[in-house]
Amino acid sequence: MTAEHVRLDEARQHKAPWKKWGPYLSERQWGTVREDYSEGGDAWNYFSHDQARSRAYRWGEDGLAGVSDDQQRLCFALALWNGKDPILKERLFGLTNSESNHGEDVKEYYFYLDSTPTHSYMRYLYKYTQSAYPYSDLVETSRSRSRTEFEYELLDTGVFDQDRYFDVFVEYAKASPEDLLIQISVCNRGPEAAHVHILPTLWFRNEWSWAGNADRPTLQQVGAGPPGGVVQAVHPLLGERWLYCDGDATLLFTENETNTQRIFGAPNRTPYVKDGINDCVVHGRQEAVNPEKKGTKAAAHYRLTVPPGDSQVVRLRLSTTAPAEFARANGRAGGPFGGFDDVIQSRRIEADDFYASVIPASLGADAANVMRQALAGMLWSKQFYHYDVDKWLEERGSDPFKETRKQAPRNDHWHHMYNGDIISMPDKWEYPWYAAWDLAFHVIALTLVDVDFGKEQLRLMLRERYLHPNGQMPAYEWNFGDVNPPVHAWSTIFTYHLEKAKRGEGDIKWLKSCFQKLLLNFTWWVNRKDRSGRNVFEGGFLGLDNIGVFDRSAPLPTGGYLDQADGTAWMALFADNMLEIAIELALTDEDYEDMVLKFLEHDAWITSSLVQLGGGTGMWDEEDGFLYDVLRLPNGKAHRLKVRSMVGLLPLCAATVFEPELFEKYPDITRRFERFLNSRPELVANFHDPRKVGARGRRLFSVLDEHKLRRVLAVMLDEKEFLSPYGIRSLSRYHADHPYVLHFAGQDYCVSYLPAESDTGMFGGNSNWRGPIWMPVNALIIRALLNYYVYYGDDFTIECPTGSGRRMSLYQVAEEIARRLVSIFVKDSEGRRPVYGGSAKFQDDPHWRDLVLFYEYFHGDNGAGLGASHQTGWTGIVARAMHLFATTTAEQMLELGRDAAIIETESTWGARLGAART
Amino acid sequence: MADVKKFVGFLYVDKTGGQWIVRDPEGKLWSLPMTDNPWEERQPFTPSDETELEAVPGHYKQMLGLPF
Repeated sequence: MTAEHVRLDEARQHKAPWKKWGPYLSERQWGTVREDYSEGGDAWNYFSHDQARSRAYRWGEDGLAGVSDDQQRLCFALALWNGKDPILKERLFGLTNSESNHGEDVKEYYFYLDSTPTHSYMRYLYKYTQSAYPYSDLVETSRSRSRTEFEYELLDTGVFDQDRYFDVFVEYAKASPEDLLIQISVCNRGPEAAHVHILPTLWFRNEWSWAGNADRPTLQQVGAGPPGGVVQAVHPLLGERWLYCDGDATLLFTENETNTQRIFGAPNRTPYVKDGINDCVVHGRQEAVNPEKKGTKAAAHYRLTVPPGDSQVVRLRLSTTAPAEFARANGRAGGPFGGFDDVIQSRRIEADDFYASVIPASLGADAANVMRQALAGMLWSKQFYHYDVDKWLEERGSDPFKETRKQAPRNDHWHHMYNGDIISMPDKWEYPWYAAWDLAFHVIALTLVDVDFGKEQLRLMLRERYLHPNGQMPAYEWNFGDVNPPVHAWSTIFTYHLEKAKRGEGDIKWLKSCFQKLLLNFTWWVNRKDRSGRNVFEGGFLGLDNIGVFDRSAPLPTGGYLDQADGTAWMALFADNMLEIAIELALTDEDYEDMVLKFLEHDAWITSSLVQLGGGTGMWDEEDGFLYDVLRLPNGKAHRLKVRSMVGLLPLCAATVFEPELFEKYPDITRRFERFLNSRPELVANFHDPRKVGARGRRLFSVLDEHKLRRVLAVMLDEKEFLSPYGIRSLSRYHADHPYVLHFAGQDYCVSYLPAESDTGMFGGNSNWRGPIWMPVNALIIRALLNYYVYYGDDFTIECPTGSGRRMSLYQVAEEIARRLVSIFVKDSEGRRPVYGGSAKFQDDPHWRDLVLFYEYFHGDNGAGLGASHQTGWTGIVARAMHLFATTTAEQMLELGRDAAIIETESTWGARLGAART
Repeated sequence: MADVKKFVGFLYVDKTGGQWIVRDPEGKLWSLPMTDNPWEERQPFTPSDETELEAVPGHYKQMLGLPF
């Protein structure tokens, strides 16, 4: 057991709060729904980046490479100034949704290099330009570009020419749970010596302005410290802390209060406001900082001159240990920085030890680097998410229980929600808010390093402060009432089995608790999204944004409604997963026997509906061997929308294998279920017959029987259709030459293959499901293929790629898709990473080429990263795929079933991954 | 039935005069001076043609000591 594993155990047993401090600051709090109090709900423009330096936030904080405690009372982050920018670099800059030609986009280069799950060690890199940051150029040039043009990136502006920038590395190492050592290393990559101002900044989140009589916390300089100074922080709930600043620094103090003069044109109530340190450093306004050296925001101002190719280091320590205690322990000379380097080095080594136990050795150095950065990104993407919806509604005059209320622009019906927790974000700049279905995927990867955090995340979304009283799960803050695909139960049963395999015992209490809430959610779906009671489900866009012919969340221009293949497939998978959970619970508690039968039957109803409902115009198209949405018109006519998209592949994902143990333990369940099936032969005719016993006595619940499975796989594995060199595309390449066009009422509705960015503004225009590769749905496809494999075994082979003459088992197909996905990130035989496409800087420069970004989605033909650049969130699931195939063989999978995906025996996949590249 | 002509209290900034303006629950407008007790020392406010009121979040009400 490594030192980090010991810390994880201590945190789980509440012996030591190792996770109390972490990277819980957001990268962007401005432009969020929480901070938006505009009449019309214009979140991006109500609270802008330009205002952020001057205006106190209401609900959370942001900062560069920042940390905070788990209630975000006290925050620490880095500010920088190159002497040329018009403002301090206190937070990342990016374009708002309307400013960019492809939706909101951060325009900075920063990298989450490392983190342990308790954050005992973390490392972050920010690349800071030596010339003035081109704020206006980015906005104006991007605005002038059309949706068919590339985004205008920071590298395109020329500010990194001649390498005139600093690599600023920020490292955190915990000497104890409440003692953070902070090391900032500034490397000059340019050809000449350059000056830079470094301002490590400590501040309190402003709770006092809007909490009635809340006590105000204080920061103040205290004497008798080392050179550089000491800031004492006192908070009524958090207690005392000291920030020790090593070296030659000046301490500057102001208040985390809104500069109302600048923001609203109303006189300030205090001369020291949020942008006081900015004004002092950038404009030389000494009167903007408090000469009494106290406030609620403070920075240590270091002025460095860094020779070319050289680096300088700034050291700080944020600790509960008082100066006198350090002096006693380390002597006056050593003080808080005695043994500093040793602690940093120890935590680095312990992080290496931890990841040596997580990352399979067979992966090789480059793939191991990719996997470690994927996990680092996931861990850095934790954020303190704070949103009291009832209070927010009240503050904007939309109190749900007042007669005189105004209509709120969103979330009117979610006033039960109080969120104030550490949550895994999709991307802390582009999506600094949780999304329920993203989170379920995050957990699949996060549990590689921290099962407890994964369980907490899943449980959190089901708590009374999140789940709507009617059973709906909150989608995301832009509209909690929107509908996300129901993948929570899948993530729950996966996490349960994972812990059971690792610890030898499953957490039945947790599983029961989740199951009860998931029952509410399942029933909400059945009652709200099955329009006609026929087990055919809708749900709107269901996470797939622009994939359809129409905006599926809006009334159809044709009238009528859609039978959604994906909506119904998601529900079939949900029923599968609920059945899995019920079976696990029934194995220890016979009270759940009836729930097993309930989900066996419900699963059969949904599965059958997906294929057969509607007779000649059902979703299954025998001629094409594919499933489509069906448009049902008001005149009673029905019409398949023959777009070959992920919508038609998702039914393939609704496949789950069940081990024989349940049916052996409860033979009565088997009898009752078989009686049900025998009495409804018309149902069984439409899906895989679960009475058929497969390899090792297993049973398969699947929408697709063997005939339909082979037909769909033939399309999916065709490189002219879905199979890209880098995974499964979201839309068939067939539509590049054959756009789908629906003529209706004199108008054409068209879907064509777009492998890169979207060319429409549908759903903000910042994502595209009409061709690119998306990691989470690829993960579901891999999962399904492995389920089919453990049922059908090695006798079931299929041509892969279609037309190649090469036959593979379904395990091999899953492995091949995983290899293609991983190859997006690892270096190819020419040393290039497809994720970086044609960017010479990222491909060739030694200071860039091993930094890996995990984008939101990927080009359908060349694997280049697209959309949000730091969506390690669900793209981080690639780490699970890497781990799975490097620790599992086909033989183990067939023998052990799902448990094979969890045991950790090294396979030769990593070596084969390398061989396939060369 | 809700009386839609009534308002809950709301806070504005008068962009032309640079002062805080409050609309109380009865719909009356008040300007607040920059003192320690701005609400207690409020003055009736009558907008002119040039008045430009910008709504600001309710959470600034605490900062100004508003009782609603």
